[in-house]
This record gives sequence, C-alpha cells and structure tokens, in this order.
Amino acid sequence: MPKLSSPQAITRLGVSDRQSLVDHVRDLSPGLSKSDLLVSDIEGGRAQAAERLAGLDPAKYGSTRNHLDGAVTRLSPYIRHGVTSVTDVRDRALDLSDTKSAGKFIQQLAWREYWQRLYEEFPKAIWQSVEPYKTGFTPDDYQDELPLDITEGRTGIACLDGFITELLTTGYLHNHARLYLAGYICHWRHVKWQAGAAWFLTHLLDGDPASNNLSWQWAASTFSHKPYYFNLENVARFSGDNVDTRIETNAPLAGTYEDLYARLFPNLGPKP
Amino acid sequence: MSVIWVHEDAITLDHPVFQSGGPNARPVFIWDTKEHDRQAYSLKRRVFIYECAHDLDIPIYAGNPVEILSALSDGQPIYAAGSPDPYIQQALSDLQQDHTVIVVEAPRLAQIPADTDTGRFFRFWNRAKKSALTHSSETLTEVTQRS
Repeated sequence: MPKLSSPQAITRLGVSDRQSLVDHVRDLSPGLSKSDLLVSDIEGGRAQAAERLAGLDPAKYGSTRNHLDGAVTRLSPYIRHGVTSVTDVRDRALDLSDTKSAGKFIQQLAWREYWQRLYEEFPKAIWQSVEPYKTGFTPDDYQDELPLDITEGRTGIACLDGFITELLTTGYLHNHARLYLAGYICHWRHVKWQAGAAWFLTHLLDGDPASNNLSWQWAASTFSHKPYYFNLENVARFSGDNVDTRIETNAPLAGTYEDLYARLFPNLGPKP
Repeated sequence: MSVIWVHEDAITLDHPVFQSGGPNARPVFIWDTKEHDRQAYSLKRRVFIYECAHDLDIPIYAGNPVEILSALSDGQPIYAAGSPDPYIQQALSDLQQDHTVIVVEAPRLAQIPADTDTGRFFRFWNRAKKSALTHSSETLTEVTQRS
C-alpha cells in the first residue's frame, strides 16, 4: 500500500458563502461534466437537519404522506448521510405524538432499516434482481440504457417531465413521484430497473443503494409479488395544483387499471 | 494519535464511535473524488455531502481513505462508524491488515430475533414494530434495570 508521509487537509477555513463552497467542490471534481451546474436548495449541515426535525408533524404526516404536497419531512438526505440518526428522529416523533399517531411515520423509518439490513446481508448483490420479473417478460426484453428523453425530462408526458425536472434541479422527489417514474421507466418503456436506479443515485441527495435499488426492484416486480403501475387518475388524486395531470398532456398514462394492465403486460392475460 | 474516520454514512460528531474513541481521538473526513466519479454523483450530491462535512469543522483530506488514514493514524487505532457500504467495508478491511480498526455500530431502530424472515417488509415489521415504536429512553431504562 502506498504511504503518504503527511497528508494536508484541504479544508478551506473561511468558506462562508455557498458559491465559494460550490466552486471549491467543482475544483475538487475535475471529472464532472462541464454541463453539470445545478445545485440544490437543500443545504447540508446540522442546523438544516435540526430545522427539518423541528418541523416534524407525525400525525399530519400519517394522514397526508401519500400526497405530493403532503406533510413529508424531507429529512431523508440528512438521515442518509448520518447527519441525524433514525433513532433520534423516531424519539422526536414519539415526543411529539402518541405511538398510534406516530406509527405511520416510524414505519417509514423502519423501511429504511429493513433495506439497510438486507444490504448488510447481501452487500454485493444490491445490483442483481432478487427474484425474476413478474411481468410476463424476461430480463432480455428490457433495455440496458435510459433513453435521453427520460434523462432530459422530454418524455412528452407532462407530469413525469415535471417530476424529472424536480429531480434534476432539487435532488429530491416525493416517494410517490419516485414510484411513478420507476413504474413508467420499467413498464411503459421496458428499461432495466438497474438503469433507473443508477440514474436516481446520481441525483437524489438521499440516494443510498439499499433503499433506492430495492425500491426500484419493488416497482419492477423483482422484489415483490407484482409489478407497480399506476394511471393518470391516481397521479391526479395524489397531486397538488402544481402538477399537470390533463389527459391531453399525459395520454400514455390515461386509462383504467384493467386497460393499462392489458396494454403493459400482454403476456399475463386479464388483470386478476 | 488515534483517528475517527467520519465517512459518508455517518457525517456527524454525535455517534457512539466518539465515546469509543475518547476525547483524544481526532475526527477526519476524507473527500474521495475517484469514488464520487465511480458513483457518478452529480454536482448537487457532492455539494450536499461537502456541506455536511464542512459544517462539522473538522479536517477534510482529499484522496484515498486507506492511504490517508494509514498516514494519519501513526500506529494508533482507527475508529469508524459501522456501514454496509462495500466501499467503506473494503477500506476498513484493507486498513485492518496493518492497523487496529475499531468499528462501532449505532443503536438500531428495532431489535428483532436473529431468525426473523426478512423476505418481505411486513414480516420484518411484525417482529420489529414493538421495539421500533419504543422511545430510546425507555429502552435505556430497561437495559439499566436488567444489568
């Protein structure tokens, strides 16, 4: 192993404004594409994590969390990097609410712990399908690469293009929007879940391979009993006014679940 | 002087690894651009991680963690928070060849029996929920009473 005689710290004391810090990170990252210029409004640090934690409302979270404008905490980037711990967050939730009201929120924390335990058990298998696809297709039926119209937010499906833009600019997406994109990429576009998972990890501030990849596998059906898909009506139901869910701008998502099932999974027969 | 590797899964000064390392252990963060490139992290991810590390006001080094920690530890133990990340595990494993490495785990959200079926979340949750829904202070009290 090569030895360094006396490593020098690179910390720039006095970096107080954000732009200087961003420039510093750029200097440290010569391999980054020149076109990668976007920085999130979500800032790292303990005070920012504490601020999120102070805004926690476990009971409201439980009743609105599936809605894109619900009372989600956006604590996940801080939990991902250990700035705050899941046990501290759990304790805060129990300080604020009784066990019943905080239950849904803590269950979501438990999802993370569940994924982490699987990661510990199978650290190198995180990029392999846990089970076969249950879509009537084989892995060879799915393409390896994400098409450019997806990575650039130009699918022509307004709500999804909006979610992609949000991902690229903020590095954060509501979990429901993540599922919509995963379902679309796997089942409408027949792209391997690994390509979508890698794309999310490039951009999500809370991206960690365990939660991310296993959630993609849940949507793809390689770690669940059935594929996750949705229709436009579902997006409209869970979206606020900021999401375009008109039929004319989202046509490929429109239809009943029976129609979509027949269209997306023609080898499986009628929807059970 | 022993060092504490503040890696990207635990960018904090509030972790049991600091109790294990004691007051003289020096926390350091290591910025590994090659790993970020390998992970294809976007600028916004890198900025967020750097902000979290910078906020701790600890030395940040750039380069390979194994080389830097080897040089900094000067024969003293190297401490780190536990992590399932293969990159971190590999670095700690490489360091163990020539150094004393002490890995310290944070408390879990849930305590579950070792034979729990983790094939699906809700099987896990059924065994985990009692402890997951218990405040840490109550758990600590129980432990104290048992000991």
